[in-house]
Amino acid sequence: MNKDKIIIDPNLSSFFSWNDIIRYKSLLNNLAKRDFLVRYKQAFAGIMWALIKPLMSILVFGYISTKISNSENTATNFVYVASAMLLWQLFSNVFNDVSNSIISNSNLFSKVYFPKIIIPLSTILVCLVDFFISLIILVVLFVISGQSLHWQIILAPLFILLTVINGLGLGLYFATINVKYRDVKFIVPVILQFGMYITPVIFNTNYYLDRMPSWLHWLFCLNPMVGAIDGFKYALFGSDSIYNIYYFSLSVCVSFLFLFIGIKYFYKFERNFVDYI
Amino acid sequence: MSKDTVIKVENLSKQYLLNKGGLPKSDTLFGSFLNGLRNVKNITSKPQTEEFWALKDISFEVEQGDRVGIIGRNGAGKSTLLKILSRITPPTKGKIEYTGRMASLLEVGTGFHGDLSGRENIYLNGSILGMHKHEIDRKFDEIVAFSEIEKFIDTPVKRYSSGMYVRLAFAVAAHLEPDILIVDEVLAVGDAAFQDKCLGKMNEVSTKEGRTILFVSHQMAVLSALCNKSVLLEKGQFVGMGPTDSIINTYLHRGEKNTGQNYDDSAPVKGAKLKIRSVRVLNHVQTTVSEINNAYKGFIEIGFEVLEKSRGYDVSLELKHLQYGTIFTTCLKDKDTEGNDNKVWEKGLHKYSIELPMDLLREGEYIISAAATIPKVEVLDVFNYDTLFSILDSTSPVAKTTEGRNGAILPVIEWKKTDSVII
Repeated sequence: MNKDKIIIDPNLSSFFSWNDIIRYKSLLNNLAKRDFLVRYKQAFAGIMWALIKPLMSILVFGYISTKISNSENTATNFVYVASAMLLWQLFSNVFNDVSNSIISNSNLFSKVYFPKIIIPLSTILVCLVDFFISLIILVVLFVISGQSLHWQIILAPLFILLTVINGLGLGLYFATINVKYRDVKFIVPVILQFGMYITPVIFNTNYYLDRMPSWLHWLFCLNPMVGAIDGFKYALFGSDSIYNIYYFSLSVCVSFLFLFIGIKYFYKFERNFVDYI
Repeated sequence: MSKDTVIKVENLSKQYLLNKGGLPKSDTLFGSFLNGLRNVKNITSKPQTEEFWALKDISFEVEQGDRVGIIGRNGAGKSTLLKILSRITPPTKGKIEYTGRMASLLEVGTGFHGDLSGRENIYLNGSILGMHKHEIDRKFDEIVAFSEIEKFIDTPVKRYSSGMYVRLAFAVAAHLEPDILIVDEVLAVGDAAFQDKCLGKMNEVSTKEGRTILFVSHQMAVLSALCNKSVLLEKGQFVGMGPTDSIINTYLHRGEKNTGQNYDDSAPVKGAKLKIRSVRVLNHVQTTVSEINNAYKGFIEIGFEVLEKSRGYDVSLELKHLQYGTIFTTCLKDKDTEGNDNKVWEKGLHKYSIELPMDLLREGEYIISAAATIPKVEVLDVFNYDTLFSILDSTSPVAKTTEGRNGAILPVIEWKKTDSVII
């Protein structure tokens, strides 16, 4: 048993520490387990919903994409759309769930102390489980379309991580605002809905860039999901997915900037959440 | 910090900002935006906030193994103190130093989820309270045995009776092994036998294992049984710390409050339909008193102002014995001899009085609280002041024998000899 001396004073500020996470590992797991168990309780199709939801989007947007781009190889086109769509859905789930996580668990931290970062992190775990289940769709489509794997596949986890970072950074920022202003729960879905159309989900990045003046290119690539999706496609399908390495790097930098701002903002107000909730 | 001191509280203060007049501070982004616009137009109507010190300059020290009770009326700052100690909310000024692992139990069953089974909830709740998985594994059987719900451990807790729910929740908390345990008034739930079991467990944890306990309760009997020391708070201020019995005594005899009357002349809230204006304790000759001898009659008079002519109002008085808790609550409509149920209440001051059942009430300190409602619809007003008075016993058989007697009420009951042959 640790006999640390702890001092509580008004200026005490905490910041992200791995120690906290390790100490509260059980809580992290149990919260994630709770959310996962509760989500599909009393649902007839149960965990199948983790497959059905993304599958629907993939079918609809895959079809639209094939029609619009007059692609000859339907199966390949579907795999492209599926890979981007799954990653986008991971991002959108993480972003949305993290931004609501603090409020929906306020009953916990208003009664017991624990590092509040545990709550959004456990939310991410649940989103990741859903994501890995939905990867089954991608594997099936991969086999159907007869794609072959390259060495780059080992990079795929990095871009999944990048997607989570995007969702977490933005999510933490909005979760903090959400404590005081409940408007967030309406704003986030709007951002996500709009965001999907300026992100290379249905079409590739070059499809968008070819159709806009070159001075707009950098603006398009400020979207942190551009880097994550292009990178993921690069890992799955090989080299031609990354349109321009500078634009790609720009997008990745934005990801980390968002994460930094999100964490900084979250920890600035974290101690006072209870007084504003 | 001396060697045995485990908690040291220094000049602890907590301030809250209350909205007062002017434009309300808005809780929506859009509202803030609108307020911003209005403020540009009319600079004088800035949102006005009033400072409220929930705690002001509290200092005390707690030694290892102490069981410290925290005593005070509603609004004295007890819960705020516990929240700051358990790091839920930060102080505005001052600091706290403590050594060891602290666990707080401000509510039983924090994080319990109705859809999860008892087993799943034990793990969830345990981890929320800061236990590691291996700790819970090790104590799992003990927790289940303590809660007495072995048979239902795999049933979702939403199907539990409220008693089972509380037992399970407390069982988890009771098996925490912190150096310092902070307990808010959570034992008010559960039946008497279980309460005893919980108190026994807390006592055992403290005396045998040398753990420190901070405990809030309104039940003086519980406090004096469990706590060796107590802290008395009043309106956010520290009044004193010392042996529990002497602190309870101080608490009960904070003289200036024990006047048997309270008035509220403040302006009613905008839109209020009814406001309670006064509560008085009257003796047999209808004078306001703070003490009634149970040889005579006693009355409580309540005055309230009806601000909106309407029907359906009801007013209630609750009589509470400081040591034994609530004795009864009575409502205007209970015994409806004047047809108050459908009466249209005219604007203006109304006064009613009740006669106290003196032959039932034991001696001691009592608190009267008053409230007005439209039953099942809304609470109209809760009287801001607790009115204190005491009952002296000079006539009952118990008073004559000078020995104490247990029980919240003291009816004088006639015993009759029977000729029953059944043993």
